[in-house]
Amino acid sequence: QDIVLRSSDTHPPGYPTVAAVEYMGELISERTDGRIAVQVYHSAQLGEESDTIEQTQFGVIDLNRISMGPFNNLIEATKAPSMPFIFRDVAHMRAVMDGEIGEEILAEFDDHNLVGLAFYDAGARSMYNRQRPIESLEDMEGLRIRVIQSDLFVDMIGALGANATPMPYGEVYSSIQTGVIDGVENNWPSYESSGHYEVAGYYTLTEHLIVPEVLVMSKPSWDALSEEDQAIIREAAQDSVAHQRELWEAREATSEEHVRAAGATVNEIDKGPFQEAMGPVYERHAESDELRTLIERIQAVE
Amino acid sequence: MEHWILFGTFAGLLLIGTPVAFCLGIASIATVMYIGLPPLVVFQRLNSGVSVYALMAIPFFIYAGELMVRGDIARRLVALAGALVGHLRGGLGQVNIVASCLFGGISGSAAADASAIGGLMVPQMKERGYGADYAVNITVVSSIIALMLPPSHNLIIYSIAGGGRISIADLFAAGIIPGMLLALSLMVTAWVVAKRRGYPVGTFPGLQMLGVIFVSALPGLVLIGIIFGGVRSGVFTASESSCIAVVYAIFITVLVYRSLSWQAFVAATLGAVRTTAMVLLVIGCAASFGWLMAYLQVPTAIVLFMQTVSDNPIIVLLLINIMLLFLGTFMDMSPLIVITTPIFLPVAMAFGIDPVHFGIIMILNLGIGLCTPPVGAVLFVGCAVGKVPIGTVLRTIWPFYGAAVATLMLVTYVPALSLWLPSLFR
Amino acid sequence: MQQLVIGVSRKLAVVARIALWISGTGLVLMTAAVAWQVFGRYVLNATPVWTEVTAVLLMGWFIFLGAAVGIREGYHLSFDIMLYILPTRVKAVLFTISDLLVAGFALGMTFYGLQLAQGTWSNTISGLGLPRGVTFLGLLTGGGLMVIFSLERVARRFVGLPTARFGETELTGD
Ligand code: NA
Ligand code: NA
Repeated sequence: QDIVLRSSDTHPPGYPTVAAVEYMGELISERTDGRIAVQVYHSAQLGEESDTIEQTQFGVIDLNRISMGPFNNLIEATKAPSMPFIFRDVAHMRAVMDGEIGEEILAEFDDHNLVGLAFYDAGARSMYNRQRPIESLEDMEGLRIRVIQSDLFVDMIGALGANATPMPYGEVYSSIQTGVIDGVENNWPSYESSGHYEVAGYYTLTEHLIVPEVLVMSKPSWDALSEEDQAIIREAAQDSVAHQRELWEAREATSEEHVRAAGATVNEIDKGPFQEAMGPVYERHAESDELRTLIERIQAVE
Repeated sequence: MEHWILFGTFAGLLLIGTPVAFCLGIASIATVMYIGLPPLVVFQRLNSGVSVYALMAIPFFIYAGELMVRGDIARRLVALAGALVGHLRGGLGQVNIVASCLFGGISGSAAADASAIGGLMVPQMKERGYGADYAVNITVVSSIIALMLPPSHNLIIYSIAGGGRISIADLFAAGIIPGMLLALSLMVTAWVVAKRRGYPVGTFPGLQMLGVIFVSALPGLVLIGIIFGGVRSGVFTASESSCIAVVYAIFITVLVYRSLSWQAFVAATLGAVRTTAMVLLVIGCAASFGWLMAYLQVPTAIVLFMQTVSDNPIIVLLLINIMLLFLGTFMDMSPLIVITTPIFLPVAMAFGIDPVHFGIIMILNLGIGLCTPPVGAVLFVGCAVGKVPIGTVLRTIWPFYGAAVATLMLVTYVPALSLWLPSLFR
Repeated sequence: MQQLVIGVSRKLAVVARIALWISGTGLVLMTAAVAWQVFGRYVLNATPVWTEVTAVLLMGWFIFLGAAVGIREGYHLSFDIMLYILPTRVKAVLFTISDLLVAGFALGMTFYGLQLAQGTWSNTISGLGLPRGVTFLGLLTGGGLMVIFSLERVARRFVGLPTARFGETELTGD
């Protein structure tokens, strides 16, 4: 083994993104006769996402699996797939990200000392709360919903009539329990692993955000490789996507099964009125013509 | 080799009397330069290490403590405690421990607990003739109780690190008896040490006098009520409660007691800044050091070695305890939980140990690590609020370490202590 | 020589005082921000979104300024157990080595703090709209002051003036 590529992930071992990068590492090892290996540092051992971006840019970390959110203020194009209700469903998201739009967005990372390699699935985020099942937009009125510290999330929750409350992850469980906040928004696996279903039993399939995650490589580490090795890595990353999606779907299914068995109430809603309420959010967060064009192109994809 | 540079530089600098924060920082720089990484990463970790929302409880509680001491709330509270238990041997030490049980339930953070209760109790204990080292010993070790009682953030982190299948409600229930057991063992130790040192025994002031003292302490007692009630009823979060304590302390001392002059306010503020800066700089530099330990995979290497040693569950648990104590000596609690849970938990479960039980063992164990040198945030907070050098504290803290370790052993080998309560609630 | 050091030292005492007052103001503002967060959530029924980030940002700043003053006033914790057996002369040499290493580390704080601030200046902080680079301002200014105060310690020791150490010398009163 000549080269070990260090890869960061904030999720625990066994999580679909962690397993997918490990799988990619196996492919790379095979295809380089063991010259290059990948070592995944899970559970945010090397830092939270925004910190690891800097570390990747400086070549301290070679690979990084990261959410789209931290890039929103850095690379404008990443805002498009991060908009609420931009994708009709997961299939639509995959069609877009697997196509030329996805390629264009990956190319944007080049200007920031990074190499965009692939997009992974992170499912759809939905609302859950301790009060009541959300049946219509009116049910959102006045609910205190915890969000991550992000202008886009705050504006989205506000546009739905609820009270957006930024709060660090560690405080959320107790805060729902005591009633400081009423609810949170996240995907199935997080709803389960955070234990929030124990204290917030109503999960409503709003599917307001279907944001893929991204696998990037450090430009300095990339430039140190031969062109053949670069090609092997790019291909292995692409090959790991299908594997990650399989793992993701399986994980979602187990999580859903687990929380349903634990007594969580799950309901579907008509997403139409929610989508229509997003007007002001799009107005504020899609400022430039380029971004608006990109959003229209995404919406036009079948 | 890089491991030797990291730990060797750290130990060498410690020996020549370099401040602990810089021992950690400079050792990290030396290692990063040896490996050939940009030194920038050390300073990035340092900056992020102090910019953590959950740490805000430390400056706030230290600040509230300073205001209460200088604004006369603290004296009245301690007078009440003194009237109630002053006629018992080591009475104020017992008050300190009981306060940790009450307060621990709210703050859920050992460092916040040490800063809040220590800021209040240590000056008063010193004034009443207790040794400063004794006051700090008790403050430091009893703060571990905070980690065991709900709503401990660390139990939530453990549940998440364990993959989320471990019920947080169960963990919260499981910590209660071990937490109380720790309190009890410390109270016995505090009593024995007080007796051997011949600490003064006060006289009971009589019921009428007690009433007067109670009324005078009432606004201070209300503070405890506001914090406790506010968090329990969901008006504010545990972190926010520390800020409310500051606001309330200013309100009472300025408007009710009218006891806080402008000079006293400035002195309290600058005092709080000094103590906080010194504690958080260590925490920030420990974040760089911890990052390198993770990068060099030190915890993983230790665990892998351990797995080859024995397959007897009693020995394995003992080894896990020793490993955690060792790691907890260098690293902070939450990163250690995150890194070692995925490695240790499957091992423990393979030997039939319940994950809820294991969580309690782990938290108690790492809690002891927060109180032990060379790196222990709680030990540092205690020394800072008591204004006592670490060496002085370490010379007399052994009985309290002993009580904590004895409790750890009991909790480790008697699963029912952790598992009985959650089974009742299920 | 000693007179010169005393003169400079007096000026640095003023600098330290100002730094400490700025940090104290930071702590007061941080208290106000979090109190406003609770007030907003209940009384205004709209959680202000800037309070959490602001409080954390202020904490990051005042810590490093306060820590710099700590070098001058000697309130950083250290282990002195091994030093008890050494003669004063040897101790002075070890303390000087230590102060110089601290100065070197602090120089790194300034240098790399500047680099980090530059590198993240184009990225904005959600909820505040400020460049992310401002989060490193405390690191780099605190580092600069630490360099100066560490060198002051060395100079004071060299001309035979006392330097403060935690637990030994009285902390500067207010
Ligand atoms: Na205590
Ligand atoms: Na320790």
